[in-house]
Amino acid sequence: MNFKKNLVDFIKKYDLSFLGSMYAIFFIGALNLYSATHAQTSSKLQPIFGSQLKWFVVANFVVLIVSLVGPKTLFRLSYWAYLGNVFLLVLVLLLGQKGMGAQRWLVLGGFRLQPSELMKISLALALSRYYARVHPEREMYLKDLIVPFIMTMIPTVLIIMQPDLGTGLLLILIFLVISFFKRLRWKSIGIIAIIGVISGLLMYNFGLKEYQKKRILTFMNPQADAKGSGYNAIQSQIAIGSGRFLGKGFKNSSQASLNYLPENHTDFVFSIFNEEHGFFGSVVLISLYLILFLRFVWLSGSVLRFYDSILVIGVMSIFFWHTFINMCMVMGLMPIVGLPLPFMSYGGSSLITFAICIGIATSLSNSRNLF
Amino acid sequence: MFGDEELIKIHKSRGTQVANIIVGCFVIVLVRLWYLQIYKGELYHKFSIQNRLREETIWAPRGMIYSRNDQLLVDNIPRFDAVVTRQFLHDKEKTLKRLALILEMEVEEIEKIIKKNSFQARYRPIIIKKNIDLDEVAKIETENASLPGVSVETFISREYVDKEVGAHALGYISEISQAQLPKYRKRDKIDYKLGDFIGQFGLEQRMDKTLRGQNGFEFVEVDALGRKKKYINTDNLFKGIENNPPVPGHNLQLTIDRDLQTVAYEALGDRSGSVVAINVENGELLAMVSTPAFDPSQFSRGLTQNYWSSLINNEEEPLRDRSIQNHFPPGSTFKPFTAITALEEGIIEKNTKIRCHGSFKFGRRIYRSWKSFGTEKYDVTDALKHSCNIFFYKVAAEMDIDILAKYANMFGFGMKTGINLPREVSGLIPTKEWKLQRNGVPWQQGETLSCSIGQSYVLVSTLQLANAYAAIATKGKLYKPYLVKEVLDNQGNILRTTQPELIRQIELKDQTWDLIHQGLYKVANEPHGTAWWRRGLGNQMAGKSGTSQVVAAQSKEELYAKCSEKQYKNRHHGVFVAFAPFDNPKIAVAAFVEHGCGGSSAAAPVVEKVINTYMKKYEAETYEANVKKERAQLARIRKRAIEIRKKEEEEEEGQTTETEVEGNE
Repeated sequence: MNFKKNLVDFIKKYDLSFLGSMYAIFFIGALNLYSATHAQTSSKLQPIFGSQLKWFVVANFVVLIVSLVGPKTLFRLSYWAYLGNVFLLVLVLLLGQKGMGAQRWLVLGGFRLQPSELMKISLALALSRYYARVHPEREMYLKDLIVPFIMTMIPTVLIIMQPDLGTGLLLILIFLVISFFKRLRWKSIGIIAIIGVISGLLMYNFGLKEYQKKRILTFMNPQADAKGSGYNAIQSQIAIGSGRFLGKGFKNSSQASLNYLPENHTDFVFSIFNEEHGFFGSVVLISLYLILFLRFVWLSGSVLRFYDSILVIGVMSIFFWHTFINMCMVMGLMPIVGLPLPFMSYGGSSLITFAICIGIATSLSNSRNLF
Repeated sequence: MFGDEELIKIHKSRGTQVANIIVGCFVIVLVRLWYLQIYKGELYHKFSIQNRLREETIWAPRGMIYSRNDQLLVDNIPRFDAVVTRQFLHDKEKTLKRLALILEMEVEEIEKIIKKNSFQARYRPIIIKKNIDLDEVAKIETENASLPGVSVETFISREYVDKEVGAHALGYISEISQAQLPKYRKRDKIDYKLGDFIGQFGLEQRMDKTLRGQNGFEFVEVDALGRKKKYINTDNLFKGIENNPPVPGHNLQLTIDRDLQTVAYEALGDRSGSVVAINVENGELLAMVSTPAFDPSQFSRGLTQNYWSSLINNEEEPLRDRSIQNHFPPGSTFKPFTAITALEEGIIEKNTKIRCHGSFKFGRRIYRSWKSFGTEKYDVTDALKHSCNIFFYKVAAEMDIDILAKYANMFGFGMKTGINLPREVSGLIPTKEWKLQRNGVPWQQGETLSCSIGQSYVLVSTLQLANAYAAIATKGKLYKPYLVKEVLDNQGNILRTTQPELIRQIELKDQTWDLIHQGLYKVANEPHGTAWWRRGLGNQMAGKSGTSQVVAAQSKEELYAKCSEKQYKNRHHGVFVAFAPFDNPKIAVAAFVEHGCGGSSAAAPVVEKVINTYMKKYEAETYEANVKKERAQLARIRKRAIEIRKKEEEEEEGQTTETEVEGNE
């Protein structure tokens, strides 16, 4: 009797807003994916849509399970998750599976694991715990950033060595958002901006692989690279632009069906969506994302513990950067770095990562009411 | 100390700022979208509807292959396909009807092809007819306007100048198969696509990476009907996009001499067999042919069903390279190696003479010779000359098979030569251990007897034979045979030169070499030698014939029948190996004629023709001198010879190197 009452209580207090956002965006994403791939009848792409649905079922379970983990457990696990994940990244470099010229996967008995995906979350956990415990009340100076910066750079360097520049830079961006939230002084932010520009230039000249340089060059001047990403960037802009206000309509993307966009089910889903649904469709989609992000920010102000508050911002930043960078890159505002659009792009790994984020947010939200 | 509640409170303003930044970012996104979709939307829309940018592959020309004398062996020739692109196919019925008329096909046939390919994307061209002639090309091009979606595609066909001659060594290229695709992508780290041609056989396969260049691409703007409009670098929107020219593959210069090869091929005629000619001084292969062969050009033009089934249904297996992918009992051509073993191990001396008469009883078996000899006693050179089995049986009775194997292995038998061609067989030289492992039965000394004359388990390839005799010719220099002399870029600059690779220097007593040389010389240059009548004037060749028995179930009558009266499949193989000129050996040639009955009757003439061609071409002076000398000699012995010839011819027809008969006790 008591148990039944507890269960009903739990369900009543369960925060469905994050899960709801996930459903709303995934619904649009699935339809879009179907449209993007239906025309390519080459047998290889057929199962993409089905596979994405299967992963979504898995994602639901992930959300549910993670949401049952209490904030206290998350707090306790933070550093362990971080250390374990860094260990996995080292393993990837030592014995990871190679694919498309990079070494990103670990194969564990038929199951392929991409530790760099999980690292985004592990980093948010670890930084949140650090900031929540070390002088949480103080405004931060640059020297206060030293330890968290090292914590960020260890996995970042390991990931860039894979090589996966996009994910590596993403970790730094997550670090910056969390540090900004933890009251980094504006003056310090200015100094970081200057250092960022200088180190960016240095890295470009000395630390980047040829293809990575090419991508950045391509971004600066799409016409320069004839074959590779310049071609994609132009085709992507044509796709978006040709959508005009209302779009060409569902399943009517000519750019996709003619296979002008080679990765139209992963990186370029947003182009297809724009081509078919136009400016109007994009406003709707962007609104959904915006609602989700603002809900995150609101949650950060209403949780019970400071650790939870930072963690919510960290998890939100993972979502935000993926969304923003993906949109910018397909519109020709950023180089093509290969980050997926949350719940829109095809791919099991990223879907599970975002599901874990949703699960964490739900867990933190639930904890407000359950105690 | 602050409580959590307070901490959250003082951080709220930063939360709001984060929210503001997010909103700001999305405003940027929306502004950009507005710019692309509303401000420039019409332009992009027009472009996406009316014009299409197409990336077209420019195939890299594959490297050409030349003979040692700079004659072209493999060439690239442009050919044309008629294709239909479904995306642009309007007014289907009328268009197809007109196309059918031009191509002399049925409309249903074309529709069937299109239907069969309907799984692929609509913008992909479908090949309707391959290899169309210039007339058809002209018609399609001129009627372009009334044939929307129909176009002509150029492809480069690989043409093998000598067609079947030497086809196996050159190999062929054909489209990569679905099954090969993932395997080869991984192996070569090249992003192959369906429709790519790759080397599938012979040198084309082994040297694929060298021969294949790097495909280029160009961007072509096509209009709504699929016609090329103009190259995009004239268009404002795509100003500056550059095309990427292909990088041609490297050329090969082979060690092959085209004349020798053609002579060898023609000498084999319509018989199945193989010929290998090798430069004894460095291992260069001068000729390498196998019959029956195939026309490699057909593979790159797109095989017709008929041609393909004619290849795979042919019982003689034209796709098998009989010079390296086939092994057979060498018969008497193996005797020199038995003799070497016996001489080196002290089983016989220079002057050991053995009577060749009758038969040799060992255990329960009686071992016979291939012809009845007189009561004369032969030393080792004469035993080789007459190919006397009894001599070798008696020697082998005292020989350990493992020792024989050791010497055979030194000459490269029983292992791959390492030639740069796919699917080489290693042949077989049996040892005691090998038999015990394979059959679980210990070695019988009687089997050594059979092995000593190149029967029983002993198996060799034509290439191994030629190479081993080259080592005899040079008194012990065994080279790794090779085909590619030089790799050149398309400007003719030498990129790589193959250096001869000495596998080993075989160390034997000088006397052994001399005796073997003498014996082989006598075979072709003394009356009564088994190849005396096949020696050819002026060649000065030294060699050995061999007839290897086909072990097959056959009736008793057939077993004792004359070879030419047997069923084809039961006839003996003819083998002959020789090197020339004797004084200063340059070339070794081995010929294998499947079911050719006799070594000297079937294979020796082939070898003689190849050597003769070589002598005339490369050793003209020696050749002329030899001819003069031999003519004079000949006059002296002609009288006697004519009598012998008649007798020998008759006997040779029925010759059997070895006959094993259960002894009646």
